[in-house]
Formats: sequence, C-alpha cells, structure tokens
Amino acid sequence: MENDLKQRRATHDLSQAGLGEAVGVSRQTINAIERGRYDPSLELAFELAAHFDCRIEDIFTPE
Amino acid sequence: MTTNQTTAGLSRTTYQRVVYGIIALAVLGLFAGIIVDRPLVGTAVYLVGAWVGGGFAFLAPRLSSAQLHDERDYVLHNRASGLLLKILTVITLATVPALYVLEAADYLTISGALGGSIGTLSALFILYGVCYGIVKRRG
Repeated sequence: MENDLKQRRATHDLSQAGLGEAVGVSRQTINAIERGRYDPSLELAFELAAHFDCRIEDIFTPE
Repeated sequence: MTTNQTTAGLSRTTYQRVVYGIIALAVLGLFAGIIVDRPLVGTAVYLVGAWVGGGFAFLAPRLSSAQLHDERDYVLHNRASGLLLKILTVITLATVPALYVLEAADYLTISGALGGSIGTLSALFILYGVCYGIVKRRG
C-alpha cells in the first residue's frame, strides 16, 4: 500500500518518534510504514487517521 | 494503542539494552568459564543470566506501563518464526529420509547425536502442530 504519511507528518511538523508516540508505536514502525515496508493493522490505520483528522483512505491507497 | 513510550519509567530502548546486555553477559560468562577451565562457574553465570534476562524480558512488558513491543514487533516475530520453520522443514525433508535409506543400505550408521537431533526436530514439528491447533481454535 502507498501512503502520504511522510508529507502529513511534515505538514504537522512531527518527527517519526513524535508520531509514533502519539499513536502508540515505535519510531521504526512509522519509518517502515512510510517506506512501504510495513502495512499497519486496521487499528493502527484508524489511529493514524484520527490523529490527522482524516479518513484512512486519505492516507493509504492500494498500489 | 495510545501508551506513552517516554514518560513511563522504562523506555523501549532501555528494555532492549537491558535484555540483550544480560544475555550477552551470560554468554560471555559461559565462554570465559570454559576458557579459564572453570566450566561450572561459567555455566552457573550463564544459568543466572538466562533466568534473569528471560524473566525480565517476560515480566517487564506485563509490569511496565510503557509499550515495549508494538504490532510490527509481533509481525516480524511471526515472520521470523515462519521462516525458521520453512528452513527446518526443507533441511529435514531433504536430509532425514535419505539418511534412513543410507542406513538401511548399510552405507552409514545414524549416531546417537544425529538420532537425537532428528528426534528433537520431529518433536519440534509435533509441538508446532499442537500450537497451531491451539491458536486456530482461539482465533
């Protein structure tokens, strides 16, 4: 899955560690999602969408 | 999913350093004991390290309010376990039947150590089957 997490994080001036802390995962997990190496669980996808106040499909799109 | 990782007493990084540090010391102690001809002392150090490190690794995530593992850690663990089983399965299927055929043809004798290894591998696959059944029932 592709995502625009990196851009959203930059827009909100958030570090990977800061975003990870906000949604309850490690910096490495945020990094892996941004690089497309890890697809988050539905629960984490909802957490990320809630954090950026958008829908899951606004962040993630199928390749 | 909203556990704070840095305000709690134990951070994820500290947790990993403590666990790996204790296990590294235990292994070093074991080899040091063997090198200086004190295998009993080395083994005792290893035993204490294994229990303390293992106990800490098991208890810390349950007792700490910090999130020491996240969902990706579990996914990676599952993938690594699956890969390990695949490798063992390929090695076992590629070698064990041939070993028994060669033994039956009197080309070789399966030693006690090799027989023990084959038995351990077989027990591992049986245990995997049992665990798979348990997880499947729960899932």
